[in-house]
Amino acid sequence: MNTDAATAASAERSGSLLNLEAVVVAFGGLQALGGVDLEVWKGDRLALLGPNGAGKTTLFNVIAGDIKPTSGRVIIKGIDCTELPARFRPRLGVARTYQKTRLFRGLTVEDNLYLAQTGRSGRHLALLRSGVDAEFRERARAMAETVWLADVVGVTAGDLSHGQQRQLEIGMALVTGPEFVMLDEPASGLSRGERERLVQLLLSLDVDITLLLIEHDMDVALRAAQRVMVMNEGETVASGTPDEIRVDPLVHAIYLGSEAGLRGADP
Amino acid sequence: MSPTGAAPGRAQSRRTLRRLLSARNVVVAAATALALLLPLFGSNFFVEFVMTRTMILGIAAATIVFLAAYGGMVSLAQYLLAGVAGFMVGNAVVAQDAWSKGLKLGWNPWVAVLFALAVTTAVAFVLGALASRTTGIYFLMITLTYAVIGYYVFGSITPLSGFGGITGIDPPGLFEDHPQRMYLALVVLSVLVYVAFRVLAVTPFGLALQGIRDDPVRMASLGFNVSLHRTLAFTLAGFTAGLAGVFNVWWNGQIDPTSISIGPTLDLLIVAVIGGTLSLEGAWLGAFVFVAANNYLRNLPLVDHIGITEARFNTIVGVLVLLIMILSPDGLAGIIDRIRLGLRRLVQLSRGSGAGPPEAAAGSAP
Ligand SMILES: Nc1ncnc2c1ncn2[C@@H]1O[C@H](COP(=O)(O)OP(=O)(O)OP(=O)(O)O)[C@@H](O)[C@H]1O
Ligand SMILES: [Mg+2]
Repeated sequence: MNTDAATAASAERSGSLLNLEAVVVAFGGLQALGGVDLEVWKGDRLALLGPNGAGKTTLFNVIAGDIKPTSGRVIIKGIDCTELPARFRPRLGVARTYQKTRLFRGLTVEDNLYLAQTGRSGRHLALLRSGVDAEFRERARAMAETVWLADVVGVTAGDLSHGQQRQLEIGMALVTGPEFVMLDEPASGLSRGERERLVQLLLSLDVDITLLLIEHDMDVALRAAQRVMVMNEGETVASGTPDEIRVDPLVHAIYLGSEAGLRGADP
Repeated sequence: MSPTGAAPGRAQSRRTLRRLLSARNVVVAAATALALLLPLFGSNFFVEFVMTRTMILGIAAATIVFLAAYGGMVSLAQYLLAGVAGFMVGNAVVAQDAWSKGLKLGWNPWVAVLFALAVTTAVAFVLGALASRTTGIYFLMITLTYAVIGYYVFGSITPLSGFGGITGIDPPGLFEDHPQRMYLALVVLSVLVYVAFRVLAVTPFGLALQGIRDDPVRMASLGFNVSLHRTLAFTLAGFTAGLAGVFNVWWNGQIDPTSISIGPTLDLLIVAVIGGTLSLEGAWLGAFVFVAANNYLRNLPLVDHIGITEARFNTIVGVLVLLIMILSPDGLAGIIDRIRLGLRRLVQLSRGSGAGPPEAAAGSAP
């Protein structure tokens, strides 16, 4: 307990928000992550690049607690979260989106954004609506506007277009008021204009918000991030500033020939 | 902002009124009024047997619909839970000197009701907690296992269930020799259960339950305790099934292990399926069709001619269920919904107005 508190305090001082220590994930014989180390600071804007199957989403799942690593440690704000289930992450200010949208398809856009907030507050066991509820509703509608869904707040999520569902996915992460946001390919399936809007939205986030971004669209990734990490076959193969990554020969080697595929041609 | 924003309160209350006066609510209110007035013109048999049974089965089936429509859990344990309440009432109320079986505690019938509901709720909580980590077909299988185990448990613990069951279970004085009162009480209870489930759907608890139905993984990552939530919903449904069970045992005057065997368990599922597992109203509709078929189809003249005996009656019900499911996966409620939409489209066409507003809400929220 004491050492935990000490670690937490030192993490706070050094501004370190997330530490991954030698994280390994094996699915049967397949090693999706082969000992990844990563440190993310408060206010960091980090983009995660890599070809299909590199292990990016798996890394997200480990950080978010959706899967437990085979070995290694996940430390968030100095607290060892390796064994903690996913539902404790929001209390640490962590929010994520999913590559394949996970929405409440039978509920309206507003209810989706409302529910996203109640989990963290413990309000979801309540049988009565209260003042807090009105606040959540208001914030839900405001967020709908932020992610360009203002005119469909009353529409059932399952009836939204693909692009709108992607936008709602992002809104559900942002509406929780997170300190640490993880976005898994937020630009996939969006039109060129929508991508531009998205970049502007990401750039407009509060400077205190830490952002971890998986993105196949190099343009979006390199503009939104201050730091880039490149993964391949479960390992970190390069990291640096966007400018460094742009000219890194190794990165070019990995992406060579698939550059066109990386730009938008997503399944 | 916009000038219409000046009186949001009035607009809001008008919207609330419009929502309350939806076609669905008006039909439900009319059906309720009809049910309440029924004793004035219905035959005794119809009121005291057909409709009383309909209300009991309707409440029990509504708990299946509630769990399925809002929680995405198809439970086969609801009839067992009703049976638990029934056995508890039986053991508690039968007097020591009565010619019957069971514990014969001889309690006041209302105390017995509280006791039965408390036990049923506790049992539902435990069973729900054990099943809450599963979904879909696995949840169905676990609850089916509960039903089977429950049958054997009551069958083998004879001090609790008697050999041939507990007989001579009298309802409280309020209902004894007043079957019409019992019927009216069941109508009121049905309305309460129906309204409670529908109101629950828009509370924070109910919305979270629907979120869990749609995507439990997302809910967990948003900080929800998914299995606790499922457990609580199951417990609530268990309590409500217990209410149905109490009336059921009052109405029957007896209960034995066979009455909670796999047959009646599946019958209740059939009731829910006939009505439509996604529509609360469907529970009572399905119950009515099922009970009516049970009571009247047997007496049709052709039944003897083509040799449909008691034993083959289940085949008829089976064919009926199959037909409804082929016509509409959402049961009778789904069929009615489609007719309603079709009529509206006809009206729109005849008015010559082009495309009306899209029916975004249709069939999405139960
Ligand atoms: N639940 C799972 N069970 C088995 N194998 C898995 C599972 N999840 C991922 N994998 C495998 O692990 C590897 C890494 O997958 P991951 O989804 O992390 O890649 P990614 O970098 O996100 O790729 P993409 O760009 O296609 O999203 C892949 O080979 C994938 O098939
Ligand atoms: Mg991925």
